[in-house]
Amino acid sequence: MSGSNSRRGMGGRDVITVGIFSAIYFAINFAFMLLGGLHPLLWILMPGFIALFTGIPYLMMCAKVQKVGSVLLMGLITGLIYFVTGQFTPVILVSFVIACGLGELVRGCTHYTSIRGNLVSFVLFSLGMVGSPLPIWLMREDFLRQITEQGMPADYVNTLAALSSSSMLVVLFLAPVVGAIIGGFIARAMFRKHFEKAGLV
Amino acid sequence: MERRIFDPRAGLWLLVAANIIAFRPHTLWLELALVGLLLLLMAAHGKYSMAVKWAVGYCALLLFQQYILPASPKIIATSFTVFTTYARRMFPCLMTGSLMLKCTPLRYFIVGLRQLRVPQRLIVAVSVTLRYFPAIREEMGYIRDAMKLRDVRGLARLEGTVIPLMVSATETAEELSAAAVTRGIEDPAPKTSAVFLRLSPVDLAGMAAGLVLLALSFVVQ
Repeated sequence: MSGSNSRRGMGGRDVITVGIFSAIYFAINFAFMLLGGLHPLLWILMPGFIALFTGIPYLMMCAKVQKVGSVLLMGLITGLIYFVTGQFTPVILVSFVIACGLGELVRGCTHYTSIRGNLVSFVLFSLGMVGSPLPIWLMREDFLRQITEQGMPADYVNTLAALSSSSMLVVLFLAPVVGAIIGGFIARAMFRKHFEKAGLV
Repeated sequence: MERRIFDPRAGLWLLVAANIIAFRPHTLWLELALVGLLLLLMAAHGKYSMAVKWAVGYCALLLFQQYILPASPKIIATSFTVFTTYARRMFPCLMTGSLMLKCTPLRYFIVGLRQLRVPQRLIVAVSVTLRYFPAIREEMGYIRDAMKLRDVRGLARLEGTVIPLMVSATETAEELSAAAVTRGIEDPAPKTSAVFLRLSPVDLAGMAAGLVLLALSFVVQ
């Protein structure tokens, strides 16, 4: 197994590690997705909250798997499971692909080991979830009509329409960046406090 | 009676169809037809009690959404409508998923994915992810018990949950990889399988019916 570090592609153990951390990432992601149903504001801030709390599993995965394609695989698994549960829209698909691609690119440029590089790639990766509320701005009228037809309560839709000003769009994009940076620093602190002592990273 | 296998390819196709239908504006009749098709498939695979449970569940959901919610106080209505809407949209997908869970053993599922030429790495990663969800729940239970014993409170609870979870995930990853490598997961030769997959007439009919419903969702608005 010592030879697997020098190879560029992912081996069996890397794939398994990514699979396990993707499960944790998805569980956190899904919990906030459900919370977003309670109030429109929670939905718009959802990418930020997810970024805040998924820093540890993401950076742990980065520390464990320093190979090409790990971020893409993580995004692909998350996307596939969302697809199976019927939650995926074309917009989130596009934003997810872009975010994972950029995250992967940054890790590639920083040779996968740099802490700063991993942090930047986490910020980019977190931006992928922006695609969930983004249709409110992209296809405003259509989207609001569509979710009303799908049975969303009028109150929810009205609050959503009131909230979706262009300044909220800035908030939507800023939230994951801020969340990811804070989440990343929390993760760093946890790494120093626990994982390095335990010899895990 | 020999245990009937629900073909994974039929399952995946129905999932795709159900997903596309869920995202297009569709009539209630189409949704009913889709649910009915899935119920028939469940019955065809000998899962009668399962079919009854899902049928009752769907009716309850529909009644709840159409009759009880509009009549209930506003605060309850706004909190629950989103959940019921999501639940209804996801219902056909959940039905297909649970049928696959019951009637498609994992090894048949993997053979099916291989036949669809899904890359081996993706198959491994997805199977590990799916298998790890119940493990997360189990771990959380143990961690919660341990925290109760030691009377951990406040913000320390968050740290106390995340750290053991990450440590055990890392350990599981190590152990699972060691086991998988021993069993030859990194062998580049194409994998063979002890089981064969043949599309049964029932599953084929189900796939065809799924296609018809999908086409209808585009034609009938």
